[in-house]
Amino acid sequence: MAPVLLGTVPFGFAAGVAAVAAGMSASQGIALSVFSFSGIAQLIASQLIAAHSPVIVTVAAAFVVSLRLLMYSAAIAPHLAHLDWRWRTGLAFLMTDQSFASAARRYGVSGGGANRHWHFLGSASTLYLSWQAAVAAGVVAGARVPASWSLDFAVVLTFIALLVPAVRTRAELAAAVVASAIALFASGLPFRLALVVASIGGIGVGLAIESRRRR
Amino acid sequence: MSTWIAIAGVALSTFLLRASFIVFVDPHRFPHWFRQALKFVPPSVLAAIVVPGLVMPGGTLELPPANLRLVAGLVAMAATFRVRNTVAAIASGMATLWALQWALGHLA
Repeated sequence: MAPVLLGTVPFGFAAGVAAVAAGMSASQGIALSVFSFSGIAQLIASQLIAAHSPVIVTVAAAFVVSLRLLMYSAAIAPHLAHLDWRWRTGLAFLMTDQSFASAARRYGVSGGGANRHWHFLGSASTLYLSWQAAVAAGVVAGARVPASWSLDFAVVLTFIALLVPAVRTRAELAAAVVASAIALFASGLPFRLALVVASIGGIGVGLAIESRRRR
Repeated sequence: MSTWIAIAGVALSTFLLRASFIVFVDPHRFPHWFRQALKFVPPSVLAAIVVPGLVMPGGTLELPPANLRLVAGLVAMAATFRVRNTVAAIASGMATLWALQWALGHLA
């Protein structure tokens, strides 16, 4: 848990700084974080709000970058199916890249016991509270951090830490390479649409390679 | 006002995506290809965020030695490949970037 928190603090701080830099008020920056609890979605939303994008474009971009959560939801659902709806709603709300990774590890071990959802709740809510504290610190201190510290780079580094273990097969590597290439060539598109187009292109190539391999 | 609506929309999107299969529908009711496609979401989305952030940090293409972020990002990738955790990526990447900035006299 400790190493995860160490990665969360600079990332949350950077997300708080980004919200204020986008022109959001302190209460808007904190509300965005408290209710969406997703660093990537918060950062993309901040960038688009800063660019005065239409609301529908902002929400659509946040939706696309959050599609990962759909995959996590599908993967973890069978393990939580025995819980009542309040437990499932609460754990779903708290699910992040990090808590999914640790839950997947715990549920992958056979005979881990019947109280694993308590472990999930404990680690995920610890992460939630430290995330909100880090974002609040970023919102408050935001404008005072000199640009030469390059704090926004911590965000890219956090994504690198998620990207490297996500590329395990040749099809996944192809998806990542194609998505990168499209993201670079389409970077002129408005409203960060390049990200959306690149993601769809990468997913398509991954699927195509996977289905050819199976035949 | 439109900022508040955008915040509500983003919050609703993230919650519905998280809750989709855990709260609302059984994942086994979806076609196989759909579940296959979900597997490729993380590598695609993350690469589409990371690579432009490294290769065109200022919005236009930059190559080393001028592009310190690309160098620092590659160091972080190598470190993460060996030691799979977030701290390794952040520590090695920031240390490399700061060291290069300092060496070039950019650090204020």
